[in-house]
Amino acid sequence: MLRSRVIPCLLVKNNGLVKTVQFDQPKYVGDPINAVKIFNEKEADELVVLDIDATVQGRDPDYDLIKNLAAECRMPLCYGGGVKSVEHFKKIISLGVEKVAISSAAVHEPELIARAAEIVGGQSVIVVLDVKKKRFGSKYEVYTHNGTQASGLIAADFVKKCESLGAGEIVVNSIDHDGTMCGYDHKLIEQVRSAVSIPVTVLGGAASLTDMKNLVDRFEPIGMAAGSLFVFKGKYRAVLISYPNQTERDEVVIRKRI
Amino acid sequence: MISIVDYGLGNILAFSNIYKKLNIPASVISTDQELQHAEKIILPGVGSFDWAMTRLNDSGMRDTLDHLVLEKKVPILGVCVGMQMMAKRSDEGSMDGLGWIDAEVKRMDTSGEKQGLCLPHMGWNDVSPVKGSHLFSRLEDDARFYFLHSYYFAHKSEDQILAQTNYGGEFTSSAHLENVYGVQFHPEKSHHWGVQLLKNFAELS
Amino acid sequence: MATVCSNCVMDTTDSMIVFDENGVCDHCNNFYEHTLPNWHTDERGQKELDALVAKIKVEGEGKDFDCIIGMSGGIDSSYLTYIAKEKLGLRPLVFHVDAGWNSQEAVNNIEKLVDKLELDLYTEVIDWEEMKDLQLAFFKSGVSHVDTPQDHAFFATMYKFAEQYNVKYILTGANLSTECVRNPIEWMYYQSDSVQLKDIHSQFGTKPLHNFPVTSILRHKLYLPYIKGIKVVRPLNSVAYVKEDAIQLLIERFGWQPYPQKHFESRFTKFYEGYWLPEKFGFDTRKVQFSSLIVTGQMTRDEALEKLSQPPYDKRTIAHDFEYVATKLGISVDELQEYMDAPNKSYKDYKSQQSIYNVGAKIMKMLGLEVGGKR
Repeated sequence: MLRSRVIPCLLVKNNGLVKTVQFDQPKYVGDPINAVKIFNEKEADELVVLDIDATVQGRDPDYDLIKNLAAECRMPLCYGGGVKSVEHFKKIISLGVEKVAISSAAVHEPELIARAAEIVGGQSVIVVLDVKKKRFGSKYEVYTHNGTQASGLIAADFVKKCESLGAGEIVVNSIDHDGTMCGYDHKLIEQVRSAVSIPVTVLGGAASLTDMKNLVDRFEPIGMAAGSLFVFKGKYRAVLISYPNQTERDEVVIRKRI
Repeated sequence: MISIVDYGLGNILAFSNIYKKLNIPASVISTDQELQHAEKIILPGVGSFDWAMTRLNDSGMRDTLDHLVLEKKVPILGVCVGMQMMAKRSDEGSMDGLGWIDAEVKRMDTSGEKQGLCLPHMGWNDVSPVKGSHLFSRLEDDARFYFLHSYYFAHKSEDQILAQTNYGGEFTSSAHLENVYGVQFHPEKSHHWGVQLLKNFAELS
Repeated sequence: MATVCSNCVMDTTDSMIVFDENGVCDHCNNFYEHTLPNWHTDERGQKELDALVAKIKVEGEGKDFDCIIGMSGGIDSSYLTYIAKEKLGLRPLVFHVDAGWNSQEAVNNIEKLVDKLELDLYTEVIDWEEMKDLQLAFFKSGVSHVDTPQDHAFFATMYKFAEQYNVKYILTGANLSTECVRNPIEWMYYQSDSVQLKDIHSQFGTKPLHNFPVTSILRHKLYLPYIKGIKVVRPLNSVAYVKEDAIQLLIERFGWQPYPQKHFESRFTKFYEGYWLPEKFGFDTRKVQFSSLIVTGQMTRDEALEKLSQPPYDKRTIAHDFEYVATKLGISVDELQEYMDAPNKSYKDYKSQQSIYNVGAKIMKMLGLEVGGKR
């Protein structure tokens, strides 16, 4: 039985891990390599690492960092940040990464999805969409450049385009719920999930395994990514890496049928 | 000595890291000459069927690989697309496969009542091996592996099946014919389950 | 061939060791003559502890927590956290300093204890780029005590927090039961010596220490306790602390995960004590740890000698660990090997405040404030 995936999502800024709230107030979380090593030892399902500076600073992916992170992963790794060309895809995959994520590049040059899929296979082309609820109505708009530039694209429509171009997975990241630990945005997930038949992963707002269980009950199978949940603890938001063990995960990742 | 074939696809580093940690000698092979003396071979694979076949055919290692596998009967483990390549052909592309196992590769069925099935098949799923399989020995009953594919190995005869997995119905997640082994999932990315399987492959006599 | 004490397993790899006419070393004699008579784990210890706990509770009235516990996820600090909450009825804030080298066991243990004891956690994450640079500077200096940056940061951070939030009591897991015999300063020089830290940094560091917390011996032995009234206390010295029993209890009650050797909750310390010190300098810290367990009756000398006949590191994984340390420090395996092979230096080769430590230690002993082993 295919299990839904529980996925830590780590953000890298200036070589260090950070965690944001609604894409603002980055709090320093520490060294990425050791964090990845710990998640690997906890046998995490999968890992997403996003360099949130690369596009804004107009620089290429940090290949040394990617290589070092990949060396610590005995589970699939998805890397994103500054990826703009098929060459980037090929180079990153050759360093031992299974999936490469694009965000701004997908919005500004969607054909990159198709070109990359042709070379590395669609399963390795992941589109990450940062979205915010539009002020009026129930739809969500895609943003780029760390949530600062509105693209004018509606998430539920754009994901269909990504799928038709050959993307292997959509990661939808709720800017409104980011870092708030107030729960996932079910309305957003409903809109995106029903628009495509490729795997969907959601990020933003997870506060507990119960949030994840609710998602599985409603949308299984689904990828469930979280940042704060696996990196902070308690009322002082103390930095401490945690991740459910296999038994705790098995309670959550398959919908129980009565 | 495990020979990991590097023809430009697949997570070579992951395989060599695992064997390094297990203290099992393994080397990455990218030329025909290096391949000649292989005793056990891993054929990784990621990406599309035609792309993988093209790269393998252009690598200069194709003929020696055929010779080692078909004539010298060297044990070989194909991973993901590496497994699919061992078949005769694939729905995904137009090129011929290696043809080492008389089987085809088909797209997973999402028609009719399977309409809601997401593709690619992505994530951790159970693998049920046939009894007594050495490749899957010492793996507990709830062994699970990471899958990432949209096409599957359609076996022609039951004795090619080494393990099955359920995704919209049972499919062959591991195949076997004499010295040829294939796994649809990624043992190099399946934590301790994958490490055990790779260790088992190294210890196959 | 080193000469070994006839009572414990300390030997002449401690170049300052002195044997009496029975071949018993001064570590042991110091323990029997000086430490043991002043170490109370019976009713006297209980009385001392009760008095201390009462003071802590009064101090903490109306506040969110009444003390902080320095928690690494290791056996001592984990057991202390359990005792503090369940046996002493304190309301500690669990305080963890993340220097970038936490093992999976360490974070698991902190999580389990915090959750099951329903305590609050506070973490300070050291700026990794600065820590990395400072650790590399220590490797380049050739001294044995390359773990100083981690140790120094732990204490400096805790004191800084205590001072900032006016917390009067810092509880640490330091204890005589497993640490009455101490590492000679030749092996591990004083980690709090900021003069030495700054000298090594100025000679070999490449990044300024903006965020890295720096403390000093005078600050935390004089200023903080006597001027600010912040005290560091060691409750494990007032209870019967038997290491094996403590480990069993933690495993059963909390799902605590053990690891191969003391201090190995930090990956760096595992490398440092398991490989760097013994291979480069011939200093095997297991001798210190086992000797403590011998004199306190928790291990026999034969058991210790048997364990010492095995290398302090795991041959199957050392190459991998070595590579990990190099990768983390941003250098190649060859460069790390160069530091391993470079001539051995000592704390004497760099500026230090050793004279202050010597004077201070004498005064503390005279006043009966220090019952620990010789350094």
